[in-house]
Amino acid sequence: MATVLFYILGFTMLAATLLCITRRNPVHAVIYLVAGLFALALMFYLLGAPLVAAWQVIVYAGAIMVLFLFIIMMLGLAPQDVPEGPSWQRWGPLALLSSSIMICTLLLIFKDPMAGQQIDDFYLAPQVLGEALFSRYALAVEIVSFQLLFATIGAYMLGRPLPKGEDQ
Amino acid sequence: MNESLLFLILLLPLFCAVFNMLFGMRLPRLFTEVMAVIGVAGAFVLTLLFWGYAEGDGSRAVLFTWLNSGTLNVSFALNFDRLAAPMTLMVTGVATLIHLYAVGYMREEDDYARFFSLLNLFVFAMLVIVLADNLLVLFLGWEGVGFCSYGLIGFWYRKLENAKAGTKAFLVTRVGDVFLGIAMLWLFALTGTLSISAINAQAALISPGVVIVLSLLLLLGACGKSAQLPLMTWLADAMAGPTPVSALIHAATMVTAGVYLLCRFFPLVSLSAVAMTAITAIGALTAIYAASCAMAQRDIKRVLAYSTMSQVGYMFMAVGAGTVAGAMFHLLTHAFFKAVLFMAAGCIIHLGGGENNIFKMGGLARRGPAELFWVFLAGAVCLAGLPLTGGFFSKDSILLALYTYPDPVYRVFWLIGIVTALLTSFYTFRLVYLVFAGEWRGSGHPHALPLLMRWPLWPLALLGLAGGMFNLPAFLGGGEALHHWYGTMAGRMLTASHDVEWMLAGLAAAIAVVGWFAAHWRYRTYQAPLENALSRFLLSGWQADALVDRFFIRPFNAMALFSWIGCDRTLFDGSLEGLARTATRCGALLLKITTGRLTTYLSAFAWGFLILLGWFLLKLVEGGGH
Amino acid sequence: MISFGHALAFAGALFVLGLTCVLLHRQILMILIGVEIMLNGASLVFVAASAYWQQVDGQVFALLLMAITAAEVAVALAMVVYLWRRKRTLVADEFNRMRG
Repeated sequence: MATVLFYILGFTMLAATLLCITRRNPVHAVIYLVAGLFALALMFYLLGAPLVAAWQVIVYAGAIMVLFLFIIMMLGLAPQDVPEGPSWQRWGPLALLSSSIMICTLLLIFKDPMAGQQIDDFYLAPQVLGEALFSRYALAVEIVSFQLLFATIGAYMLGRPLPKGEDQ
Repeated sequence: MNESLLFLILLLPLFCAVFNMLFGMRLPRLFTEVMAVIGVAGAFVLTLLFWGYAEGDGSRAVLFTWLNSGTLNVSFALNFDRLAAPMTLMVTGVATLIHLYAVGYMREEDDYARFFSLLNLFVFAMLVIVLADNLLVLFLGWEGVGFCSYGLIGFWYRKLENAKAGTKAFLVTRVGDVFLGIAMLWLFALTGTLSISAINAQAALISPGVVIVLSLLLLLGACGKSAQLPLMTWLADAMAGPTPVSALIHAATMVTAGVYLLCRFFPLVSLSAVAMTAITAIGALTAIYAASCAMAQRDIKRVLAYSTMSQVGYMFMAVGAGTVAGAMFHLLTHAFFKAVLFMAAGCIIHLGGGENNIFKMGGLARRGPAELFWVFLAGAVCLAGLPLTGGFFSKDSILLALYTYPDPVYRVFWLIGIVTALLTSFYTFRLVYLVFAGEWRGSGHPHALPLLMRWPLWPLALLGLAGGMFNLPAFLGGGEALHHWYGTMAGRMLTASHDVEWMLAGLAAAIAVVGWFAAHWRYRTYQAPLENALSRFLLSGWQADALVDRFFIRPFNAMALFSWIGCDRTLFDGSLEGLARTATRCGALLLKITTGRLTTYLSAFAWGFLILLGWFLLKLVEGGGH
Repeated sequence: MISFGHALAFAGALFVLGLTCVLLHRQILMILIGVEIMLNGASLVFVAASAYWQQVDGQVFALLLMAITAAEVAVALAMVVYLWRRKRTLVADEFNRMRG
C-alpha cells in the first residue's frame, strides 16, 4: 500500500514540477511547485522521515514559496512585466540536452547494483534526529545558523534604498 | 707641522666646494663668495707654508688606504716634490686671482652657488692631479677635472649650444681618458703597483717596445686633456662657459694637466726615443695648426683658445725635447699671461656690452679704462714673445732645446716652432690692433667694470712680464733658477755655446718683432675680415669638426640608427610585438565567449555537466566489462 | 517495498527538471525556482539514502540543506528586488555588464 502510494506521489510530483517549469507566469509556477513540494513531503514521510516531511511543508511550501509569492506581489509584476516565456525554438536543443542528461543519470543509477535493492521499513523518531542534530552535528548546526545570520545581514544590505543617481 | 698635513691643501677647496653646494644658496651671497675665495687662497697660503717639504726628494704623505684587494693596493698618497710644488703654487695662486675676478664677473648671476662650488671643485680636482702619488688617485682628479669642465662650460645650460659645448668637452676628453685608463691598467699589470714614483723607479725594467706603447697611450691621454691633435676640437667650443672658467681652464686647471702628466712620467717616457719624437711631433703640429687657426678667428675668446692650444703644443715640444724644466717654465709663464689675457678679454667683452667679435670692437684704448689696455698689452707681448718678457724666455728655452737636440729631425720641429712664433706674434698683435686701435665699431652698451674685475689682472700681468726671472738663462747672467730647482727632474741639460744661444734669442726676438710689424702694417687701420676659402678653412679650425663629424659621428650615428631601427625596432620589437599581437588575438577570440549573459554561462555549465556524466557512464561501462 | 533505485530515479528526474527550468527561462525568478527544484531533488536523495542505510545522517543533511536553502533564497530574493530597482526588469540577460 505504502509502496503504491510512493509511486503515485512520485509521479504526481514530477507532473506538478513539469507543469511548474513550463509556466510563463511565475505565480502559476509557484502554485504548481507548492503542489509538487507537498507530494515530496509525503514521500519523505513514507521514507521514514516525519520531521523532514513536516519541515518540508513548513519551510519550503510555507515559508520559501510564500516568500516568492510575496516578492512577485511586492514588485507588482503586472502581466506585461513578465517577460516572454520560453520560446519554442529554444526547446529543441534544450530538450536534447535535458533528455541526454536524464538518460545518463538514469543509466548511472540503474547500472549500479545497489539500485535493485529494496529499502527496508524505517522510521526515525524526531527525538533521535534531534539528539543527533544537537550532539554529533552541533558544529554544523552552528555554522548553518551563522549562514542564516549572514544571509539576513546580506539581504538587509541589498534591500536598502539605492544611493541617488544609481537608479536605472 | 708635519707632512701628513699636506692633505689640507686638497681639503680646503673641497670643503668650500661642498659647503657652497650644500648651503651656498641659503647664506648671504657675500658669505658664499668669501668661502669660495678662501678655499683657494687658503690652499695657496698652505702651499707657501709647506714649501720646505718639497725640497730635496720631496715629501710623501699616505692619508689612508683607498682600495686593498689582493695585489691591488691603492693608498691615497700625496707627493709634494719639486715638480709638484711650483705647479701647486701656480694653480692655487692663479686660481685665487681668477676666483676674485669671478666674484666681480658673476655679480649679476643668480646661480652663483653652483658656479663657485664647481669652480672650487675644479681647483680641487686639479690639485689632486698635481699632488697624487698614485695613478688611480691621479685618475680620480683627472676625471674630476673633466666633470667640472663639463659643468662649467655648460654652466649657462639653458642655451643649447652651451650645453652641447660642455658635452663635447666631456666626451672628447673622455676619449683621451680611455687611453690613460688603458695605460694605467697596463702599468699595473707590468709593475704590480699604481704608485707613480714606484712605476718611474721600475721604468727601466720594462721592455722597450712596451715603453713605446705605454708612452703613446699616456701621450694620447695627455692630448685629450691638453687639447692637442687629434683631440683638440673641444677647446675652441669651451668658450661657451663664463670667462673666469675659460681663464681657469686655459691657465691653471685643465689644459696643463696633460703636460704635467707627461712631466710626471718623464722617467718612463724619456726611455723611448720614438715616444719622445711622437710627443714633439704632436706638439709641433698642434702648435702650427692652432696658430694658423688663430689667424682667422673673429671671436676674441676663440683667438685666445687657439693660442692656448698652440702654446701647450710648445710645452709638448719641450717635453719631447727632453726638458721638463723648459716645459714647466713655459707652463708657468703661460699660465700668468693667459690668465691675464682671458680676464682682460672678459673685461673687454663686458665693456662692449657682450660683444665677442673683434671686428665689431676697436678704439677700446680710449673707450675703456687705460689700465685695461696696458694689462692686455702686457699679456699680449708675453704671448707674442717680445724680448725680455716671460713668454720670450720660456719660448726661447724650448726652441733652444729643440735646436740642440741630437736627433736631426728635431731641426724640423724647431723650424715649425719658429714659424709658429711668427704666426703667434702676428695674430696676437692683430688682436691688439683690432680691439684697441681705431674707432668703436660695435653697437653694445658698455657695462661698468667692478673693481674686482680690474685689479686681479695686475699681479698676473707683472708676473707674466717678469716671468723670465724665474729661469733667466745663463748667457744673460741669470741663474736658471727653475732648472736648478728641478734638479734631477729637470731633464736634459741644455748645452750650447753662448753664441748659439745669442743667435737663437736674437732670431726669436726678430721673429716676434717681424710679426708685430706685419700686424701693424695690416691692421693699423681697420680691415674688414677676409672672406676667401683659406680664411674660412682656418676659421673653421681646418674643418676639424666636419672631419670628426664625417669620420666618427656620422658612421657612429648610422650604426646606432641601424641598431635602433634595424635591430632593435624591426627585429626585437617586431618579433616581440608579433608575439604580443598573436596573444592579443587569441585573447580577443576568448573574449567573444564572455558574453556577460547568464543564460550562456548556465547552458555551458549544463553541457559540461553532461560531459561529466558521460565520462562517469563510460567509466562504469568499462568497469562493468571486467 | 520501495526500490532504492526508483527513489533515486525520482530524485534524478526532479533534478533534471529543475536544471531544465534553469536553462529554459530567462527570468530570474523562474531560474531561482529551478534552483529550488534541483535542491529538492538533492534532499530526496539524502532522505532515501537515510532510509536505505537506516541511518540518521541523511535526514540531518536534508534539514541542513533546507536551512541553507532558506538563507540562499533570502539573499537571492533580496537581489531580485535590488536588480528590479536598478533596471525595472528581471530578464537575466539584461544584466550583462560583465561582458568582456
